[in-house]
Amino acid sequence: MSSPISSWEGASSVYTYADKPAVLAVILLVAVAVTVVAIWATIRHEKHSYNSPMTKK
Amino acid sequence: MEQATPTLEELHKLVQMSGTINMEIFYWWCIALMVIIHAGFLSYEIGASRLKNVLTAGVKNILAFAFIVPTFFFFGWFIYNGFAAGFTLDMDAAAASLPWSGAMGPNVEDNATGIFWGAFALFAATTASIMSGALIERTRMSAFIILAIILGSAVWILGAAWSWHPSGWLTTEWGFHDVGAAGCVHTIAGFFTLGVVMNVGARIGRFNADGSANPIVGHSMPMSVIGLMLVIVGFFGFLGGCIIYNVGGQWTNIYGQPTNLSAFAFNTLMGFAGGLIGAYLTTREPFWMMSGGLIGIISVAPGLDVYYPPLAYVIGMGVAAAAPLVHKFLVKRQIDDAVGAFAVHGFGGFAGIVISGIFLAGYPNMAEGVPPVNFLGQAGGAVVLALLGFIPGYLISLAMKQAGFLRVPAHAEERGLDLTEVPAEAYPEWALTGASTTYISTDSGSSATVVVAEVKAI
Repeated sequence: MSSPISSWEGASSVYTYADKPAVLAVILLVAVAVTVVAIWATIRHEKHSYNSPMTKK
Repeated sequence: MEQATPTLEELHKLVQMSGTINMEIFYWWCIALMVIIHAGFLSYEIGASRLKNVLTAGVKNILAFAFIVPTFFFFGWFIYNGFAAGFTLDMDAAAASLPWSGAMGPNVEDNATGIFWGAFALFAATTASIMSGALIERTRMSAFIILAIILGSAVWILGAAWSWHPSGWLTTEWGFHDVGAAGCVHTIAGFFTLGVVMNVGARIGRFNADGSANPIVGHSMPMSVIGLMLVIVGFFGFLGGCIIYNVGGQWTNIYGQPTNLSAFAFNTLMGFAGGLIGAYLTTREPFWMMSGGLIGIISVAPGLDVYYPPLAYVIGMGVAAAAPLVHKFLVKRQIDDAVGAFAVHGFGGFAGIVISGIFLAGYPNMAEGVPPVNFLGQAGGAVVLALLGFIPGYLISLAMKQAGFLRVPAHAEERGLDLTEVPAEAYPEWALTGASTTYISTDSGSSATVVVAEVKAI
């Protein structure tokens, strides 16, 4: 279950998996990883663009 | 039917909750206004780029925003709350800012953390946008993204922890006072940018072998000027985010000293007007006039809460009149800051803080034992923040340069970055001038429309 609560009475942190630190860690790591991958993809796109025969004309 | 009379306790809770929600609403709209700063920087940088680079300038600016927000969540907010004393981590103060803390997400008992985090994330994105314009037309997108993350989610916020935080060591030790973030945002971003610009080098054709400069004119000054006006609009959100809404009490500045939005309104507008006129007197042209308006606001930002408004007007005018001369000084040294970001933000912020040391001296701080505002504290603080910006900007970009990672290849720069790496066209009717359109395959396999022509530098 993604909900950390079964009732709104006395609730505080209500975000998904707030009561499951291990799941939070995995989601956070995925978020960091996709950010790094996005930078890597930018580097790859640049290399491809700079080496394109169209660009070197 | 008889209505039950509310108890005093119930009325008190009602008033408290109304105040709390009003506080959230206030910062919510400050955040929205700060997004307009990015619309402004986007327009300003695109206008300052030549036709062959306009979309790349736009993509760069948009990505700065996109990468700052998550990285400021991952570690930026933690740095602000954990490093007020210097480089020593105060884990007790920072624990609630860890990205897995109960406060760092929807929490029905916490109306403050998310809205303050949001406002600070927008301040962070502003610092990265300040750097963005200076580097147009020759900096690698990936290098820029990494530098933007370092500046926006680490360096400036460390400076904010030191100088724009009630427990920041520059305030508690030296009495530093800078209510409008001239130091942590503008001085740091400007000096960081200067360090990077020195390493990235000038655009091809900017300087001749004898050291003389050639003008490289952007493709749309009206677009840049409107962009700068949008930045000014967004600054009202930025400065609103610099004041603390205390539920049930008077506004305070970030150091806890009493102030109000009326004080900010007087001095923001007077500094803005002074800046416009000051830059007009030394340049007579609209790009620098609008930049001058920005400089006027930045230069009076340290004392928005207490300046006599005509003094703010004169300070804004003087600093804005001098800024174009600072830019010319850099050009003479073959430093190609494409939009004058250092002169506007680095010089404007630094000069504003030093000047505030003269006029704000003697104002008391709140906590016992904290010295009053004084000239040495202000000038020393300005130097610390300038170094905090310049040193990492210079050293990290130097390492990138030596790794061949900072600048685009010369053939791509000469051809234009839009044709090289953006699968879209800024002005398709341009093809009517003799260019032709074809399709190429991008590295992701999608097809892209590209104008194929010998593009003359404008």
